[in-house]
Amino acid sequence: MTLTVCIGSACHLKGSKETTRILEGLIDEHHLRDQIQFYAAFCMGNCQNGVSVSLDGTVYSVTPETAQQFFETEVLPRIGK
Amino acid sequence: MSDTMYADIGYQSLLKDGQFVCGDHVERIDRDDGSVVLVLADGLGSGVRACILSTLTSTILSRLVAEDIPVSTCIHAVVAALPISSVLQLAYSTFTVINISPSGRAILIQYDNPGLILFRDGQEKPIHFLQTTIEEKTIESAEVQLQEGDVLMVFSDGAENAGVGPGMSYVYSWGRDNIAEYMAPFSRVGFSAKTLNTMFLDECSRRYGGKPGDDTTSLTVCMRTRKQANLLIGPPANRDDDDKMLSLFFAKQGRHIVCGGSTARLAAQYLNKPLTVVMNQKDTDDDIPAIGRIEGVDLVTEGIITLQRVLEYAKNYLEDNSAYTQWCYKRDGAAFIARMLFEEATDINFFVGRAANPAHQSPDLPINFSTKMQIVYDLSECLKKMGKTIRVSYF
Repeated sequence: MTLTVCIGSACHLKGSKETTRILEGLIDEHHLRDQIQFYAAFCMGNCQNGVSVSLDGTVYSVTPETAQQFFETEVLPRIGK
Repeated sequence: MSDTMYADIGYQSLLKDGQFVCGDHVERIDRDDGSVVLVLADGLGSGVRACILSTLTSTILSRLVAEDIPVSTCIHAVVAALPISSVLQLAYSTFTVINISPSGRAILIQYDNPGLILFRDGQEKPIHFLQTTIEEKTIESAEVQLQEGDVLMVFSDGAENAGVGPGMSYVYSWGRDNIAEYMAPFSRVGFSAKTLNTMFLDECSRRYGGKPGDDTTSLTVCMRTRKQANLLIGPPANRDDDDKMLSLFFAKQGRHIVCGGSTARLAAQYLNKPLTVVMNQKDTDDDIPAIGRIEGVDLVTEGIITLQRVLEYAKNYLEDNSAYTQWCYKRDGAAFIARMLFEEATDINFFVGRAANPAHQSPDLPINFSTKMQIVYDLSECLKKMGKTIRVSYF
């Protein structure tokens, strides 16, 4: 599975670094390094709803506050956890 | 300067503690033929009187030397013009003249300042001066052929005596020769003239405990080869111009820096190479977005936030350059750009696309189209003040 966080200007201002940190932390916590390919990308063209996070091509709107919830409700179920 | 040699020049003064004007003065004249004339003068005493003496001396000398008037005539003119102090019955200002031709030939004239220092390959290279007496003054002059990598330094006696005086930490003067030994290792690192000069004055200030006992001025010249850097910022207003803008950009020699996410995607498409983002880079600033990578491009960064920081660094560089301690080692986009533009490049071409990013026009974001244009303009002005040749093209 591929998880990509947008680090474009608008998403950066909305907290993409913090979001990246939280998501990476959760991936490590759940020992999912070999199952999730984690990337950053420049602007995904979804700036109005940043921070844009793409999960296998589907773009979600995540913030540092909702990152954990996003991980639990969207990422974990997809890999059957 | 010629197409190959370039004199990178930095100078700055520390004021004597409690004074509001500087008794030292540096005057610079860039001539149409590409040569440059620099004069550092140190007026007798301190405060307004010294300021007038040194300003007069450096202004008259630099103008006359720039007109190729013989040295003796220049000095007669200075002596005739200086007002005589009612207290000391003296009119006195030291001076050092550096006149560098486009080929790197330098005429050096000095009177009573600590002797000029020439560094070559990280060591002091002695300059052989000839002495002549003009108007009862012993004037030293020399002519040297400068090479790429050479660094010339001259300073007022406030630097030589840094830290000496009542209540100060040092008993003996630092001394010109010890200063030469101190600066020699730095001279070959590749620092810009301004940076070398700041490092030196920082040490003077430290020796003085932050309260200089005399006006302290230093002037540094680094001889360098001209180096180009090209910056691509923003997609063109009209999509039909994409290829034109990119082909002109990549046709240029030197460094290629691409700023902005959409711009990076355009460049990657043009080169037909993947665009990746560098994650978990060490020594970055959290406020600066990550950098990217495209084969064939020297540096890929985010756009407006990164450039905003580069502009802050540039403004600071022209003031006291205190942010140098940040951008000199960090590995984020803004620090990389600062090093390439401030330290490395002598000629910088901006390729500015006028497409407005619709996502940035939202009122709740501190970034928008006019901000971007303003940053590019301000940055190019700062770079001009650093002595760089700037060309800006809009698409």
